[in-house]
Amino acid sequence: MKEQEEVTNGTVAVETEVAKKDFSFRSYAWKQFKKNKAAYWSYKVLLFLIVLALLAPLLANDMPLYVRYKGYSFFPAFSFSNKIEVKDPETGNIEILQLDIADWKRLDAESIIFAPIVYSPNKSDLLNAEYVSPGGEQLFKNKEGETVAMPTRFRHWLGTNKRGEDVLAGLIHGTRISLSIGIFSMGIASLLGISLGAMAGYFGDRRLSTTRGSFWTFVIGLIFAFYYSFIMRTYKLGDALASSGVSIFFELFISLLIFAVITTTFYFLGKKVGKIKFFSKQVFIRVDSIISRTIEILISIPNLLLIISIAAVARPSMLNLMMIIGLTNWTNIARLTRAEFLRIQNLDYIQAARSTGLSEFKIIFRHALPNGLAPGFVAIAFGVAAAILIESSLSFLGVGVPPETVTWGSLLNAGREQFSAWWLVIFPGLAIFVTVTVYNLLGEGLRDALDPRLKK
Amino acid sequence: MLRYILRRILIFIPTLIVITLLGFIISVNAPGDPIERMVTAAQSGGEVGTQTINQIEQKKFWRKKLGLDLPIFYFSISSLSRPDTLYKVFDKNEREALDRLVDRYGNWEYISEYFLSLNNFYNSVIGFKPDTTLIKEYDQNAVIETINQVKFEALALKSTYQHNMIEAKFTKLSLLLAYYPFLSKFQAPLGNVHYKYIDVEKNSSTWKNYIPKMNFYAKNQYHRWVFGDGNWLTGEGSQFTKGLIRFDFGTSYVTKQPITDVIGAKIGWSMFFALLSVVLSYFVSIPVGVKAAAKRGSRFDRTSSIVLFMLYSLPSFWIATILLMTFANPDVIHWFPASGVKPATGYPETASLLDRMLISLPYCILPMICYTYSSFAFLSRTMRVSMIEIIGQDYIRTARAKGLPENKVIWKHAFRNSLLPIITVFAHIFPAAMGGSVILETIFTIPGMGYETIFAFQNNNYPMIIAVLTITGFLTLVGYLISDVLYAVVDPRISFSR
Repeated sequence: MKEQEEVTNGTVAVETEVAKKDFSFRSYAWKQFKKNKAAYWSYKVLLFLIVLALLAPLLANDMPLYVRYKGYSFFPAFSFSNKIEVKDPETGNIEILQLDIADWKRLDAESIIFAPIVYSPNKSDLLNAEYVSPGGEQLFKNKEGETVAMPTRFRHWLGTNKRGEDVLAGLIHGTRISLSIGIFSMGIASLLGISLGAMAGYFGDRRLSTTRGSFWTFVIGLIFAFYYSFIMRTYKLGDALASSGVSIFFELFISLLIFAVITTTFYFLGKKVGKIKFFSKQVFIRVDSIISRTIEILISIPNLLLIISIAAVARPSMLNLMMIIGLTNWTNIARLTRAEFLRIQNLDYIQAARSTGLSEFKIIFRHALPNGLAPGFVAIAFGVAAAILIESSLSFLGVGVPPETVTWGSLLNAGREQFSAWWLVIFPGLAIFVTVTVYNLLGEGLRDALDPRLKK
Repeated sequence: MLRYILRRILIFIPTLIVITLLGFIISVNAPGDPIERMVTAAQSGGEVGTQTINQIEQKKFWRKKLGLDLPIFYFSISSLSRPDTLYKVFDKNEREALDRLVDRYGNWEYISEYFLSLNNFYNSVIGFKPDTTLIKEYDQNAVIETINQVKFEALALKSTYQHNMIEAKFTKLSLLLAYYPFLSKFQAPLGNVHYKYIDVEKNSSTWKNYIPKMNFYAKNQYHRWVFGDGNWLTGEGSQFTKGLIRFDFGTSYVTKQPITDVIGAKIGWSMFFALLSVVLSYFVSIPVGVKAAAKRGSRFDRTSSIVLFMLYSLPSFWIATILLMTFANPDVIHWFPASGVKPATGYPETASLLDRMLISLPYCILPMICYTYSSFAFLSRTMRVSMIEIIGQDYIRTARAKGLPENKVIWKHAFRNSLLPIITVFAHIFPAAMGGSVILETIFTIPGMGYETIFAFQNNNYPMIIAVLTITGFLTLVGYLISDVLYAVVDPRISFSR
């Protein structure tokens, strides 16, 4: 059918040329992916969610985007400073507007443009506290100070919680947290998972060999490196971490630098040591065994419990949470990447590359990796879904998330206190569900698109 | 076969060791001093900055009981400048202050002298009771206030390590001591302490920090935690703990009870829900998966696929909350009780086991639904995929070609082989059920390990958290072992004799 259409539409030659040009695996996979309606739609939903997350402060903000007040124009939502001085042109009095607590909705401004949702997630609307439902009666204090029914523009579209915080605003800002947790933690996990999986699959147990001397020299070097970069600098690092600033990155950088310098020194030293007779015996580094065992151990501990245990001793912060989730969730990625690399390292083109004398490093990164990423990608998509689920479970339990942060899970948890406030349960849960489903569908679509062998 | 199982168990041991290490590392890094919490929580009050003799004794006792007077691990890497006895210093803050001083000056000989003289000074200040005749002429409250301040400053000095702060504290102390003539007898000792500190500064030997040194300890906290404080193999002569290998997980920071007792009372419900839910989901998911695969592309297949996929993505805490909100809510439908596993008043005394089960049944239905549905979705999908794979094989085509009825082909020939993957995933479902219990037990207030974990988390009861982590890790390993062995039993193609 399609071919016929193409022919009738004309120029067959051009068509084949395009086809020739486009015959890369990437375009093939993209075409396959597009055919999968559910996956394609979830891709679009995901794009929408990302836009929502990026624009969250513009979409839901109690500070107006633009105000013209007594002849002055300003943009509170974009402002870095928290104070604006306004001089009354008639009386000459100076009025100081504190941006985050000013009552913008009752301000006598000449013109004012609000964000679509006129509330911020953490700000209480005291008039509408104690669980006001989305369809229920909402109150508003107008400019004359009278309490009237809520104007449609300022409605709490999805109701409020006990403290009168807007649920929709919380949901929009929660998108930000959930997506960034998912993406960053999986970023860490995929770095770990892909590199470890690739190493395990490519080197196996018997490909990476070295002399006995250089092996033990390197191990000793590791101890020294660890000593000089971390043990000796414990207090420097600890104080930098406690001071909460960029200094921790600086100190960490120095530590890593020291580590790198010492290990490389010992690496070259080891080459020399390896020439001595007793130390020149070849030993195999059982990369695959080590990494596979590590994975085995990690998956035998219930993930959520492990994360709760680590969160119990770490300070509650989003950054910590991302790191914890990332460091505990790389196993699936590693396992799939390992399997793929096991397959790839036996293929002819890798053998050919090896026979030309390319370095292992180059073979892995230039030749094997581009080919072996596909299963990892699938695992990453599923992993993001899992990470979002973990984050929302944790914030639902109130574990590891700073208490003032509004997330989907914490909103849902608030609904548990008052069952009549169904909107606090339904909407955040729906948001989690949709996001998780989108990523899962995406993962399925990717798997079908990237792995032609699965096709019937 | 037996050899395979033995080998499998041998692999099991290092994995278990790593899990205990992991738990231990986490617990060592726990913030705060447990002793401080346990003792001051018991009896707060008293003068500022002072500790009663009773309190000190209690602290000593608890330090010994929890094994905190031991070094942490079998070995430690420190510097030449560091003494290998620093762990014996009583107070966590003082220990850190000393360690930081060593880190800065590198001369333990001088630092220890400084610290000893400071300790002596502190003890003499603490023991000082002003003679009533001496303070007659002064304002009594002011005198007591000043003495308290002296005591407080002296205590604070012991855990201070910044140079400026130490100097400031010395100045402040000597100012305070100058207030009243009867305090002036402390000036000389204070000056002595100060000299010692200046000595430390003068004779710094920071080069010692650059030379690493390894210390080895046969008795340490990890060893004690795993093997108890008696004989490591037989457990004889143990005083406070028999060790992990004899299922002694230490003492709860909150109730001060043995953790084993607490967990023993809780693990039943957790295991009940986890195991029963796995069994239930196997029972439901196998027919669903087989049917979907047998009629691939049919309406049943398509709808069940979609439904299962949705179920798979549904967060269990959401469903649990919605279920509670709908079916355990007096305002909507009140079919089930909202929390617990039995009536608040307990079972009636005459109730038999069957009666008790009947009483508990309505409590268990909602949690069971939540426990089951997610693994059910996962299992059905796995079953379907493996069944489809099997149906595509040649021997099934042969079976069909020779005219066997479809029913027989599916259930007799295909089904058995397609069971294999589903057996292996048991090992994945079980930890998921145990981990999921944290959320579901909290929502339904089921008195199990998961709920206990969250309770422990809220109370910084680290030994409990680590105990739960270790136990679940252990149970999961057992799950893996069982599924591996089952796999070998079911599939004769797999030989493990290698």
